[in-house]
Amino acid sequence: MSQNSEMLQMHWLMDMVQSVDVGIVVLDRECKIHVWNDFMESHSGLLANTVKNQTLFAVNNDIDKEWFIQKTKPVFDLKVRTFITWEQRPYLFKFPNYRPITGTEDFMYQNVVISALTSATGAVDYISVMIYDTTDKAIAKKQLEALQVHMTENALPVR
Amino acid sequence: MPLSVLICDDSLVARKQVAKCLPQDWDVDIHFAKHGKEAIEQIQAGKGQILLLDLNMPVMDGYQTLDAIQSGQFTTKTIVISGDIQPEAHHRVTALGAVDFIEKPVNPGKLQDVLRQHHLLEMQEPTKENPALPLALQDIYQEMTNVAMGQAGDHLARIMNVFVKLPIPNVNLIEVSEIHMMLKDIESHERVSAVCQGFIGGGVTGEAVCMLSDSSFGDIAKILNIQSSVDDQLQLEVLMDAASVLIGTCLSGIGQQLDISFRQRLPMILGQHRNVSELIDSNLRKWRKTLAIELSYGIEGYDVQCDLVLLFTEESMNTMNMKLAHLLEDDL
Repeated sequence: MSQNSEMLQMHWLMDMVQSVDVGIVVLDRECKIHVWNDFMESHSGLLANTVKNQTLFAVNNDIDKEWFIQKTKPVFDLKVRTFITWEQRPYLFKFPNYRPITGTEDFMYQNVVISALTSATGAVDYISVMIYDTTDKAIAKKQLEALQVHMTENALPVR
Repeated sequence: MPLSVLICDDSLVARKQVAKCLPQDWDVDIHFAKHGKEAIEQIQAGKGQILLLDLNMPVMDGYQTLDAIQSGQFTTKTIVISGDIQPEAHHRVTALGAVDFIEKPVNPGKLQDVLRQHHLLEMQEPTKENPALPLALQDIYQEMTNVAMGQAGDHLARIMNVFVKLPIPNVNLIEVSEIHMMLKDIESHERVSAVCQGFIGGGVTGEAVCMLSDSSFGDIAKILNIQSSVDDQLQLEVLMDAASVLIGTCLSGIGQQLDISFRQRLPMILGQHRNVSELIDSNLRKWRKTLAIELSYGIEGYDVQCDLVLLFTEESMNTMNMKLAHLLEDDL
């Protein structure tokens, strides 16, 4: 009975990972894909079954391999989190804007967090890559900057 | 501790302008207040030996403020800076104890003259004891950081194949105004880039600031094995990478000793974020002191200057003190 309820719990936990509005990708040391959640499926148009066991670079050839390995190395070796902000690089995966009609940008700006998945033995064989949609923030910042430029150009001279 | 000057005006522009007019070489802490009530609170907190005061403000105007200073018997020297230039205004503020009156808009020459005239430039700072950490506690934090540093240094050395010169951590309780100054300095300094990152876990919260001098970028890129030339984009990349590794290893080292696993928020670039000072301003009243651990890293054989500052909130210290109490055992 208790085993059954644990199974049920596992099931809805998995369901949550699948349905959360954040992209979740699990990679091994060779950057082969092991988990590719609903968010990733929906935005990339690629099904989890299609991409499983392929390397990230085969699935997305926009990603510079050297550069990405550089980002994951400390995660594997030191178990630290590494971050890629949209200010640094607008996106990791070129996904269309979530709001194709009213959105002003063509693609989705992304914050990326790469963190270690520690096994029961303490070893790190897998890492998770989480993709957050930050398009709204990026647009807001662009607008603010445009406004600041406008204000500076039209400002009265200060004595 | 330098003398503290409090600028009270409801307009942000005016506050900034007055601050800019202060003599450049005058070693003072500058504080700001948006109206008289805030000013009085700050004066009560010891942050206003000299007050530069506007008259027309919401909540509590300049006259009421002067009145409150008189009846509270504060030793604050007040100079009124106002657009209200009627003779009557001048009389009234002097009657209420203001030492002088300057018309708006203020200019540096005029302000300096008035300050000199009233001997405020050579005014002595009050002899107030610095709110220091109890020695035993300072020792513990220092030791905690040392251990964390040792681990972090080892990690860094292994991942980068370099010898890391371990810094001696500098542990202090610092005032908000000092952080303010530090951040302002980063903002104005073109040769330093910085990111800050919030962290939280098990009742301990704080922020880490990682600063990299621009001269370090070339060498760090070399160490991190980045081949392309170092442009702005790459500098940001290097800064983020260095920050991830430094902050991450240091926090996990500290976390291990405290038995806390910290969650880290996405790092924020300070150079590109223009409103840091204002952000701190609006937080001024929420907290006053913070535990700061400063670490200065160097890497042997390379010209790399990297500073890491970990700031913990005052409340976090209670939790940390409790968790670290076992290190003291019979001492405390």
